[in-house]
Amino acid sequence: MGTLAKSMSQMEFTVNQADLVKELGLSQGVVEKKTTIPILSNVLIEARGEAIELTSTDLEIGVRSACPAKVSAEGSVTVPAKKLLDYVRLLESGEVTVRLQENFWVQITAKRARTRMVGMSRENFPVLPQMPDVVAHLGAGMLLDMIGKVIFAVSSEESRYTLNGALLVVRPDSVIMVATDGHRLAYVEAPYQAGVSSEVRALVGKKAMGELIRLLSQQEDPNSILDFGRDESHLFFRTGGRLLISRLLSGQFPNYEAVIPKENNRVVVLDRDAVAGALRRVSQFADERSHAVKLQLATGELKVSSSSSESGESEETLEAQYEGDAVQVGFNSQYLLDFLAAMGTGPVRLEFKDEQSAGQLCPAGADAPQYRYIVMPMRI
Amino acid sequence: MSTIFLVDMDAFFVSVEELYDPSLKGKPVVVGGELEWREGRWVAPRGVAAAASYAARRYGIHSAMPLAQALRLCPQAVFLPGHHDRYREHSEKIQEIFGSFTPRFEMVSVDEGYLDMTGTERLWGQPLKAAALLHERVRCQTGLPCSIGVAGSRLVAKVACELAKPNGVLAVVPGQEARLLAPLPVRRIPGIGKTTEKRLRQLGVKTVADLAAIGGGMLEEVFGASGAAMFRKTAGEDAGGWYDTAVGEAEDAKSISHETTFDIDTADGQKLQATLSELSQMVAHRLREQNFFARTVTLKLRYSDFRTITRAQTLPAPTDLDGDLFRTAMALFTAHWNGSAVRLVGVRASGLERRPGQMDLLDGERRQKWHKALEAADRVRGRFGFDAVQLAGGMAGSRKPKSTTGEE
Repeated sequence: MGTLAKSMSQMEFTVNQADLVKELGLSQGVVEKKTTIPILSNVLIEARGEAIELTSTDLEIGVRSACPAKVSAEGSVTVPAKKLLDYVRLLESGEVTVRLQENFWVQITAKRARTRMVGMSRENFPVLPQMPDVVAHLGAGMLLDMIGKVIFAVSSEESRYTLNGALLVVRPDSVIMVATDGHRLAYVEAPYQAGVSSEVRALVGKKAMGELIRLLSQQEDPNSILDFGRDESHLFFRTGGRLLISRLLSGQFPNYEAVIPKENNRVVVLDRDAVAGALRRVSQFADERSHAVKLQLATGELKVSSSSSESGESEETLEAQYEGDAVQVGFNSQYLLDFLAAMGTGPVRLEFKDEQSAGQLCPAGADAPQYRYIVMPMRI
Repeated sequence: MSTIFLVDMDAFFVSVEELYDPSLKGKPVVVGGELEWREGRWVAPRGVAAAASYAARRYGIHSAMPLAQALRLCPQAVFLPGHHDRYREHSEKIQEIFGSFTPRFEMVSVDEGYLDMTGTERLWGQPLKAAALLHERVRCQTGLPCSIGVAGSRLVAKVACELAKPNGVLAVVPGQEARLLAPLPVRRIPGIGKTTEKRLRQLGVKTVADLAAIGGGMLEEVFGASGAAMFRKTAGEDAGGWYDTAVGEAEDAKSISHETTFDIDTADGQKLQATLSELSQMVAHRLREQNFFARTVTLKLRYSDFRTITRAQTLPAPTDLDGDLFRTAMALFTAHWNGSAVRLVGVRASGLERRPGQMDLLDGERRQKWHKALEAADRVRGRFGFDAVQLAGGMAGSRKPKSTTGEE
């Protein structure tokens, strides 16, 4: 009896299967799939009071969430996150009991299912910082929308580390997000009272943005609020009992205001779906690596064309209300399609200057939030 | 099934020299530089052997060996400065002969070319017969010896040609590729260099048979995609990089580089920096001349003890600007130079793209200004030579050591 009591006292709790699956799902994007540090593939489970806390990290970002549980013995352990989710997901709905045994064996029982998983001590699991004072309150739905409008323009080029994230600017009466990869720039601004008295700027990494999307899209209430905080080296985003911690990206984000074109006077408004459809078709015959297409704006029409020595050539003409000077500019069609997908349905406004200068695209609808996209041309 | 010939001229530079001076025949000959009579003895100039005759090779001399070492190995060897106009002229003759056998041929260097002879049996007969005919025609029309490897893949043709040397023809019967390769050391497989050989040795692999026995899965795990290609190569298949392209397909240059050997080894950081600046400008000039943009910059450093390092960096966007190449080369230099005396530095641009492509949003204006300035500089160079215009950093360079050492 004595040994049993001892093993019982290490950690034991019972949770609802569906709750556990939902919270474990959050950790999947964070845990390292190919890591040289095995413990980073694990999720830390801490049973305390009337809940269990789940923490996962890859040292760049971390996620902590909680799930109500009947805790019969407080304690903690780490287990492989993916394996645990894969297994728990297959269990029938109902109660799942988790018990820590000697040598970090973790026993999982549910109805007639019984499993022992190999766990690891929490001793070597990184300690994540605590959420500091809240700096700003942001609308969860708004932030989700803004991230979706800029994330595709974030650079994946590791050598340009200051571009590996989006700039978040919180002003007393508006919130701005900007991302660029050096070829194009996406800018979105929304009027909002976030409760700051002066401007706050932070560089949010691409991986953190991806996790925020996951976190925010699970919020059922679009009006829910996300608390934003920061310390010297981390950013904190908390919503609905879940906390995302992201290492602060260092470096100076480029001066985005300087690249916003001011003399683009060749303007045409077209239906987004019509432009996107033409681009998608024509780009099938663009050079496979550069995706280059040519846009020719002339009286009454916009012509989209491509050619590749390997596959052939293609063109399509869209009727357009345009009377200005003719202009032709080459673009990476993928860059244009990225924006058209993110802007949503409705008319799109295309603004050009010449074949050497940045073009600007924005939704033409009046009620749209301030959203603009600046793309450099290709020489073709 | 393809039929591929690899024709490689035997000791090409030396053979050409022998045409002009038959007395050289059979003697140990080294092309690369003339000896100088200094203080009562013959001294080899700096630099390396461009070619060595078979007689010289018996003394252990090979191309790329420092001339001083060659002189030590064989003091009676004849050292010649080399006549590159003659080599070019004979190379053109050889190419003409190749072209008369098949339109699908590709020179991989001045004295070596692949011929895709697939489907030419009606015209030239069976592969071995065709190869013998080609061998004879090269000898008759140029007076130069060559060796030919015949196989179903370029890889095996290359290996067969090495085995056929000198002055031989070797055809590998289809189906016998793996058997031919099996007993050979792994270094014989094109694409396996010193580093890979070393890592393979750690795995207990010495011969191609050992390599094949390891299995593709394991090789891929250890070496990635190149490991998978290595495994396919053990069966005689063309795999990986250049071997994935058909003969005659990859006509564009794969890289552009310039390097220089100092007259006197130097550990002077400023001098090295200036030389890198000048080399970067030369490479960028050639990129623009050939309308290429490069993605990768490689720095090459050879120390006094001949230890050579190459370090590469891939750029965020392809470039043809002097400044971009120089900054990258300099960053690599700063990160990897150990401070000791350097004998040779080189700058190489690779990952070449034809398309000028995507313009830059953040520093586009700066780049455009540079472009205009450099185009102007290139025009001046076109008229007055490369040295007519220099970036300030390259002024103290010593690409032509003789002219600058005099001033220092």
